[in-house]
Amino acid sequence: MEATPAWRKLPYRRLELYEPEGDLMTLQLGPQHPSTHGVLRIKLHLDGERIVKAVPFPGYLHRAVEKLCEQLTYVQIAPIVDKNDYVAPMTSEQAIILAIEKLLKVEVPRRARWLRSALAELQRVASHLLWLGTMTLDLGGALGGGGSVFVYTMRERELVLDLFEGLTGSRFHYNTHTVGGNRHDVPAGWAKDMHAALDLIEKRIPEYETLTQNNRLFVERMRGIGVLEPELALELGVTGPNLRASGVDHDLRRDAPFHAYDEVATNVITAKAGDCLARTQVRVAEMKESVRLARAFIDGLPEGPLVSGKPIKLPGQFKVNSGQVYAALESARGELGTFLVAGAGTSPYRLKIRPPSYHAISALPYLLPGHTVSDTVAILGSLDPIMGEVDR
Amino acid sequence: MAVNEDALAYHHPLYDLMLNVPGLAVGLAPVDRLLTWGLKNSLWVFPMATSCCGIEYMAASASRVDIDRMGTIPRASPRQADVMLVAGTITVKMAPRVKRLWDQMPEPKWCIAMGSCAISGDFYRNLYSVVPGIDTFLPVDVYVPGCPPNPEAVMHGLLRLQEKVEAARAGHPVNAEPPPELFGAISPSLPRLTDQNRPPELSEEQVQASLTVVPEGDPGEVPVDLTPPSIPGALPDGVSTELAPLLKDRFGVAEIPADAPPLVPAERHVELAATLKALGYRQLVFVAASHHPAKKDGEAEAFEVAYALRTVGAGSKVASWRVRVPATESVPTLTPTFAGADWQEREQFDLVGVRFSGHPDLRRVMLPENWEGHPLRRDYPADHAAAPWR
Amino acid sequence: MTLFAWLSSILVAVIVLTVTAFGLWWERKLAGRMQSRLGPTIVGPIGLFQPIADLLKLVQKEPIIPQRADRALFWLAPPLTTLFALLVAALVPFGPKLAPANIDVGVPLIIALGGLALIPVWMAGWASHNKYALLGAMRAVAQSVSYGVPLVLTALVPVILAGSMNLNSIVAWQHRHHWLVVWPVFLGLPAFILFILAMLAEANRIPFDIPEAESELVAGVSTEYTGMHFGFIYLAEYVHTLVGSAVASTLFLGGWDGPFGPSVLWMVLKTCLLFSVLYWLRWSLVRLRADQLMALAWKWLVPAGLALVLLAAVWTQTPWGR
Repeated sequence: MEATPAWRKLPYRRLELYEPEGDLMTLQLGPQHPSTHGVLRIKLHLDGERIVKAVPFPGYLHRAVEKLCEQLTYVQIAPIVDKNDYVAPMTSEQAIILAIEKLLKVEVPRRARWLRSALAELQRVASHLLWLGTMTLDLGGALGGGGSVFVYTMRERELVLDLFEGLTGSRFHYNTHTVGGNRHDVPAGWAKDMHAALDLIEKRIPEYETLTQNNRLFVERMRGIGVLEPELALELGVTGPNLRASGVDHDLRRDAPFHAYDEVATNVITAKAGDCLARTQVRVAEMKESVRLARAFIDGLPEGPLVSGKPIKLPGQFKVNSGQVYAALESARGELGTFLVAGAGTSPYRLKIRPPSYHAISALPYLLPGHTVSDTVAILGSLDPIMGEVDR
Repeated sequence: MAVNEDALAYHHPLYDLMLNVPGLAVGLAPVDRLLTWGLKNSLWVFPMATSCCGIEYMAASASRVDIDRMGTIPRASPRQADVMLVAGTITVKMAPRVKRLWDQMPEPKWCIAMGSCAISGDFYRNLYSVVPGIDTFLPVDVYVPGCPPNPEAVMHGLLRLQEKVEAARAGHPVNAEPPPELFGAISPSLPRLTDQNRPPELSEEQVQASLTVVPEGDPGEVPVDLTPPSIPGALPDGVSTELAPLLKDRFGVAEIPADAPPLVPAERHVELAATLKALGYRQLVFVAASHHPAKKDGEAEAFEVAYALRTVGAGSKVASWRVRVPATESVPTLTPTFAGADWQEREQFDLVGVRFSGHPDLRRVMLPENWEGHPLRRDYPADHAAAPWR
Repeated sequence: MTLFAWLSSILVAVIVLTVTAFGLWWERKLAGRMQSRLGPTIVGPIGLFQPIADLLKLVQKEPIIPQRADRALFWLAPPLTTLFALLVAALVPFGPKLAPANIDVGVPLIIALGGLALIPVWMAGWASHNKYALLGAMRAVAQSVSYGVPLVLTALVPVILAGSMNLNSIVAWQHRHHWLVVWPVFLGLPAFILFILAMLAEANRIPFDIPEAESELVAGVSTEYTGMHFGFIYLAEYVHTLVGSAVASTLFLGGWDGPFGPSVLWMVLKTCLLFSVLYWLRWSLVRLRADQLMALAWKWLVPAGLALVLLAAVWTQTPWGR
């Protein structure tokens, strides 16, 4: 065993031991609160406005997805898990499909892999846009400057949703991935629309930067708040932009490539500070990088078939008797993985979704103490949790 | 379960005055119309947004649809709202809170059920933790179907509500809307999936036939590129190639299976985690438990817990192992080595029921504290809603 | 009181409430346009009747008193907030003769009444028996006390320059010389900006709206209020901002002084313009944190205000400032 890491030496970081003392006020933040990004309850022990201890209680959106998936055949699962990460349904779907394909040893044509990468990047742009909007909404309120940024980012997000609607016919829950490929091929003129939309988004990202990370008030609220040390982040399993903002150079797109990421180089964006501002900067920079990657993937989309088998119609088409696989991809929030234990026949025996948001939320008890109630919403917002994914 | 709120209805002194003084109701008819006009044109929304539908509600208040055009603004406090817009799945844990917030809203108030989860529970409706439709405990005025409904549909729902407000104030009896037959699929997938009449599996021929590759387009012209997909984080490989000697020599692992993580003796696995951490596997990836009921051939009931760690940086690798214990015993916790194991093991305890010895805080995390049973056990019914909604 | 004073005070109250009601509409329209939305369009022509519909709706809502609330204080607080906010309006001159209360100690009285508006806010927060409301009230008190100091200091600058505490005399002095923001610009402009900042904080507007901070404290002080009680608190905020703009334009922008036309028009125009600028700020900025707010008041605004007062005193002794 190695020596005690630095972060564990702080008394309030040793959650199992630390009991706040004195005459404290408890404040139940949530489960229905304007800034909990869904339904999360955090029990705050307050000394004045200063947080002494914070205990999050997730589970208010526990929809029993894992139990439901045990009842379904492999081809039926994808549209169910769409609803987990409802801000990035595209990558939700891909994560589960990757695991199923790996378990069933189904091959995916190159064109489908390129298309999946492009869709994942577009989804990342949309997800980060929504995140930026809600983040500033938390800082500036629905009736204020935050509301303005939120409306701007939602406006640009609609452009991406329009693209998805053009491709799959649905704004939200796409069900475009199937075991062994994609269902919907790129329609005529779609690439042109995509370039137009991405050009517009790229042009407008500097505007958001002016309103957020180049705005003195915003920076004052975010700098030095909620610092997540890299060792703690790794132990908790925090991934994605939250981890990279803490200075850990780790991105599955480059380090364990899935889809077609081994064919197009990804620049991994990191920041050192690990505070809320760093997380903002990483995400905004990632948006720009994703715009570039999405263009590259669509421009280089190879010819060929989109599905390696027949289009899936039969629920019992795939059968497997044993095997346990884990497959993961880098979603907008981090490592979104699926651990799949095969049962006998057409349904999984046990399916465990590894949600990046759940790990991010588990950092809250370590991040919140010492800050004020106002910072709670900033820290929570900057971690970008999606409660559907946390609770599943 | 249906709620009769008539007995609790609130009478505003203004209305009472107008109704009780003879003649005043007629004399003040224009005033009454004015009041109705005010009521229906200023519907402030309390967004009870839990999931996907909440995002579409947000889109509805953004620039493309902009429900502010008709005077609808969101209020964060239920005390100041007129409409509760239930957008998203309501779980058994959440339902009491929703009811309480509804009770905190002042009369006159309305409720919109947005999306199929709020209307009927959608495909989660028969699962243990989901309420099959909020109309089981709230009086719903307008249903907005969809999964999720488009922002335009939200606006349409609000316009429908305006009609209803006007009709109700004009004295036309407006019954609570019957729940819509959701495009003929009100109780969607689950009952059909557990249908006893469905043939359990396809025949081998059918499977083979459907697996045959038929590329779209002319197969002769387009070269079919079937390069194997690059599968991330190769799970058993990561262990077998590098760590096989370590596992075999030091941790008493008998065999390393090709398609699953190796089984490690329960008493050695904390040590293994520490060793792997020192070797660079510093990131906790997941903890996943599964329940294996007793079999007829005499195999006792058992739990299997799979752990996975990851190296960070270029060429990231996953190392994973399993621990198998009889159902009566517990697994040593990883919390001292990996702080994140705290929440991961709590989740597995909550859902699967496996106990972790030495865990500092083994509470339920997903389900309410007073929940009975562990739903991801194989013997827990899959098509059984929770107690009051059964 | 003479009949004229009665009439003019009623007129001013009506003007203020009407302007406030349409200020609500104007804000929503302005915010909508800033956010590439439309804002209210359906209720009345270009959504003009939206505030009226809101008011009619609020009147009809059920008044709820939480079980463990302090009933008397809970009932009393919201009307008082509006009343105190309106009281200030009575002191603002809308024309050379159109001042409902032309008092010689106008400036200190305005600031005192503005400070008084804090009491119902605290009453509301305390009486609600709600943690969010209490936190909001605590923040409001801390903020009001801190920002009262720079408010007084900056309001002293025109008082020293004009040599009078009577608002009408201050405007008359600006009429004779220049508007204060125009000359002496190195005194008037910083004092004006500081006054606006302190006034924003007193009126709890973004970026200083921490007492109601709806993303943190749900709705702050007004969390438990329903119907017209909430309406009063809502109205008071707007009246406060509007009257604050009126006071600022009186003290620094020449008040009713204009090159042509009736004086009331100029006063209303300046006030509305300032009001819009404040909303422009509101819809572009995020809010500060409580401790940052205090730091800003005590570390920057108070020293700057003191320096301005000192400079103003020196300026009056120079040949140009006589």
